[in-house]
Amino acid sequence: MARIGVFICHCGTNIAATVDVEKVAEAAKSMPGVAFARDYKYMCSEPGQAMIKEAIEEHNLDRIVIGSCSPRMHETTFRKMLKGTKINPYLLEIANLREQCAWVHTDKEKATEKAINLVQMAVAKVANNKPLTTSTIPITKRALVIGGGIAGIQAALDIADAGYDVTIVEKEPTIGGHMVMLDKTFPTMDCSACISTPKMVDAGAHPNITLKTSCEVEKVDGYIGNFEVTIKEKAKYVNHDLCTGCGLCQTKCPTKVTSEFNQGMSKRSAIYIPFAQAVPSKPVIDAQACLKLTKDKCGICEKVCPIGAINYQDEVKYTTEQYGAIVVATGYELVDWKKMYPEYGGGKYEDVITGLQFERLVNASGPTEGHIVRPSDGKEPKDVVIVKCVGSRDPKKGKSYCSRACCMYSAKHAHQILDKIPNSRVYIFYMDVRTPGKGYEEFYDNTRKDGAQYIRGRVSKIYKEGSKLIVKGEDSLIGRPVTVEADMVVLATAMEAAPRVEEVVSKLGISMDKDKWIQEAHPKLRPVETQSAGIFLCGTCQGPKDIPDTVSQAGAAASKVIGILNHDEMETSPMISHVDQTKCAGCGYCVEVCPYKAISLVEVPGRDGNRKVTKTVAQVNEGLCQGCGCCTATCRTGCIDLRGFTNDQILKEVDALCL
Amino acid sequence: MSIKKDDNWEPKILAFCCNWCTYTGADLAGLNRMKYPENVRTIRVPCSSRVNPQFILRAFQKGADGVLVCGCHPGDCHYATGNYFTRRRFMLMQRLLEYNGIDPKRFQAKWISGSEAAKFRDTVTEVSAQIKALGPNTKFVSPHYDNAVQAKEGGAE
Amino acid sequence: MAGLTEAQVQDRIREEAKKALATGEVSAVVGWTSTRFEDKTKPYFAETEAECDLLVWNKYCINGTGKFALDDRYPEKKIAIIARGCDSRALNRMLRDKQLKRENLYIIGVVCDGKENAVCEGCQHKNPLTYDVLIGEPVEEQIDADRFKEIEAFEKLSPDERYEYWAKQYDKCIHCYACRNACPACNCVECYADQYRTGWQGKAADREQNQVYGLTRAYHVGDRCIECGECERVCPMNLPIMRQTKKMLKDINDLFGDYECGLPDDAMPILGSYKLEDPDEFM
Repeated sequence: MARIGVFICHCGTNIAATVDVEKVAEAAKSMPGVAFARDYKYMCSEPGQAMIKEAIEEHNLDRIVIGSCSPRMHETTFRKMLKGTKINPYLLEIANLREQCAWVHTDKEKATEKAINLVQMAVAKVANNKPLTTSTIPITKRALVIGGGIAGIQAALDIADAGYDVTIVEKEPTIGGHMVMLDKTFPTMDCSACISTPKMVDAGAHPNITLKTSCEVEKVDGYIGNFEVTIKEKAKYVNHDLCTGCGLCQTKCPTKVTSEFNQGMSKRSAIYIPFAQAVPSKPVIDAQACLKLTKDKCGICEKVCPIGAINYQDEVKYTTEQYGAIVVATGYELVDWKKMYPEYGGGKYEDVITGLQFERLVNASGPTEGHIVRPSDGKEPKDVVIVKCVGSRDPKKGKSYCSRACCMYSAKHAHQILDKIPNSRVYIFYMDVRTPGKGYEEFYDNTRKDGAQYIRGRVSKIYKEGSKLIVKGEDSLIGRPVTVEADMVVLATAMEAAPRVEEVVSKLGISMDKDKWIQEAHPKLRPVETQSAGIFLCGTCQGPKDIPDTVSQAGAAASKVIGILNHDEMETSPMISHVDQTKCAGCGYCVEVCPYKAISLVEVPGRDGNRKVTKTVAQVNEGLCQGCGCCTATCRTGCIDLRGFTNDQILKEVDALCL
Repeated sequence: MSIKKDDNWEPKILAFCCNWCTYTGADLAGLNRMKYPENVRTIRVPCSSRVNPQFILRAFQKGADGVLVCGCHPGDCHYATGNYFTRRRFMLMQRLLEYNGIDPKRFQAKWISGSEAAKFRDTVTEVSAQIKALGPNTKFVSPHYDNAVQAKEGGAE
Repeated sequence: MAGLTEAQVQDRIREEAKKALATGEVSAVVGWTSTRFEDKTKPYFAETEAECDLLVWNKYCINGTGKFALDDRYPEKKIAIIARGCDSRALNRMLRDKQLKRENLYIIGVVCDGKENAVCEGCQHKNPLTYDVLIGEPVEEQIDADRFKEIEAFEKLSPDERYEYWAKQYDKCIHCYACRNACPACNCVECYADQYRTGWQGKAADREQNQVYGLTRAYHVGDRCIECGECERVCPMNLPIMRQTKKMLKDINDLFGDYECGLPDDAMPILGSYKLEDPDEFM
């Protein structure tokens, strides 16, 4: 028989004013298993705690119930208190007599009756509590960053600077992401490459950072502190250990294809370094384009390579590494406006370009060396239309969110056009102008002063007449249709989640919203955490944002990672699920409902009559389980139970309540 | 089974509340000194998806007059997806119970967030009134539990 | 039956059974054999060529054969099952529930146009859905527009009438678990009802414990029920057990769209999955 101690707190007059605490303590004395009961002014106070400890000794109590404020308030306080006694901290239940009784009722008699019942429930539950012990798991002091854009680079640098090893996995042959493609950054107009390439170089040269370019995450196992990640390295066909990055191969390569880096506005060779400042500055072969790999012809690069670094037989390689924490920074891609907007020509007019193409056009290292010219005929445009919200804020096009950075980069583009092309005119079709950032509104104001004409309304159609693009829209402020004859149209195309982000999400066991942005654990209070412990996010994989926000989020994610890696081991909550494998039928439905992929089916040796057989049963990974208990209600056999909230405990509470 | 309607009769209503939303909301109702009927008792569970439908049958068997399951709003589950399972489980459970003669008001599920103290108060007040109007539950009650029967016939304890 | 007569099907069954045994990979063929009553057959395990000639096929082959596959959860050899549409769904059920391994089964599918069994009237799957060899020409399947007619009629009764109806049924129930033992969806290694667990499921055969058992069982199998009707057929007290599980199925169909279990599509049971856009009544 249990020896339960019941301690009823007055909480000054907070409880005592509405609940007859003496009566509750008196009633508790006759509850089954109760060996001792009393009331006291403040249980959580130091003398209160000392009194409880004394009573535990004096009356040889083996578990306790405290009738006080909400367990959300002081459960941890009293658990800590029990650590100094012979009672396991989990042999404690709290009856919520303040928030859910004294404070919400006025009739003292009825409130007292309810309080007695609440204590009864807690007594019935605690009698079925089992001692639980926290276990510790060791922490691998290394971090993995998925994605080598500015978010990933910044997070990696911050973690590496704190003294921990970091691996950056980047699917492209170079790190840098979208930021290095940009020309200037708003609102300060400093050169994007000038501020981002030094970071790339730092990451490449940092003793604690390993770059894995042309790599993807193949598989993720394990849990916080102990992730086991299989990384797939695509075939590069160039041995980067040997290659000196002299670049001879790419000058001799006869095959030219469109350049991704220049957004299709120039050509690159089949063996290529994506751009001059790439890190690592070593080439890879584009297997789809290379004549040797597709048709077994050519082979020039192998012949010219002074060091013999070319390897046409290169294959996909897999490596498995251990990490303690993971940062997801998979970034964004621009929406495929060509499919979404047939009314804007759907891509058939060369002079209708995206914002990112404009960035390359205006960039000194771009295909035109910074001259803004029409891609169709190379002439300088005089009348330029900028269309905002292309692919965003339009549920009919499937994207209801605001892409956030477009208002500002469109203002920047307008400014650049007006600045670089004398007597040019810029018309900006907009729905709203959103400038929530330091110095943003001022920048927008200046752009208007520069002469940019803002027209409030959507563009309904773009078509070609002669060499002009006819842009038809509406000025909703005066309620009239507007037609602009433009030489060039720049679409402020929206960001969308990176392609195949769903694969990363499912490998990591995290979740994403309807637009495939990765879901943070809490939008306000846990913005860089995912709901899986040890996995963090930063940058545009979480939602559209500009560079300052991306970088600050990256720093935040890094500090969270450092917080984990700082420890040698970490405690796990013991209130997690547990499988009675002797009863488990191995149906695996618990595996499917678990939001943390904490349950897996394992094969265990068993017996069937005289025979030794292999049985398939469920097993809970204690590092991954967060204790929600969804699995317990899925299990028809009832063989999976949640420690701390077991079926028995809850049923006893139900019974006590119905007494 | 004849039921004596007693003005002093108080129903027993059991509310399973998830720790992160509804239980927090109920605490907030206390903090704001909102008032609601005494006949509602909460059972704290980590997530509404922890609530096994068998708990509800058990409650009726033991003489509960009403059962509530409350959790975070869909999309806000602390454990990301738990309440989506809750939603399917109890939409079906409620219908199955109704089909077996239990008034659907006696078993309800509600989403109440941690900030919706007023919704918690309004919900339990409303449910309490509904169940008071329905009178004591006699269906599924096991006669082996004397106290339950006494409560049915003798009014409030 | 299109093409084949009853006798021809029986011959084909015997032939396929023999062939299966002859491979040496199959330990037994589960089918039906005759009894001393003309209008009764019984399940039969043919283990030799001679025994295969005792397998019969007629309108009294009523017992489900699928569940017998569970008799040996760790078979050393394959077990061959003569499977009608319903039996193949039972096997699919147990395969989806990971209680059987497909490689341990040899399924001899037989097209069936109904037996002397009330449940066959609404049959939507006369053709076996999963098989290694098929006997008979597949027939066109009928959609049963009245699948839930009985449930709809019952729903129209008043709550008290419904309660009383079920209370009377559960008064009759002798808590024998025959329904569970026959049910292909009741495939746990150890049923919750068999475990010693206070406050979970009473063992007594009284109305209240039977009610809890009946409802819990309905809930446990409701989203996985293949509508074979075995529960009702085996009930010694003639309880209308399918009326409970079919109620679950009806609601699932109403709430979440067309739903049928035991199809070879490997779909998750409704209660083991969710959709963000599921109807929400709990706002």
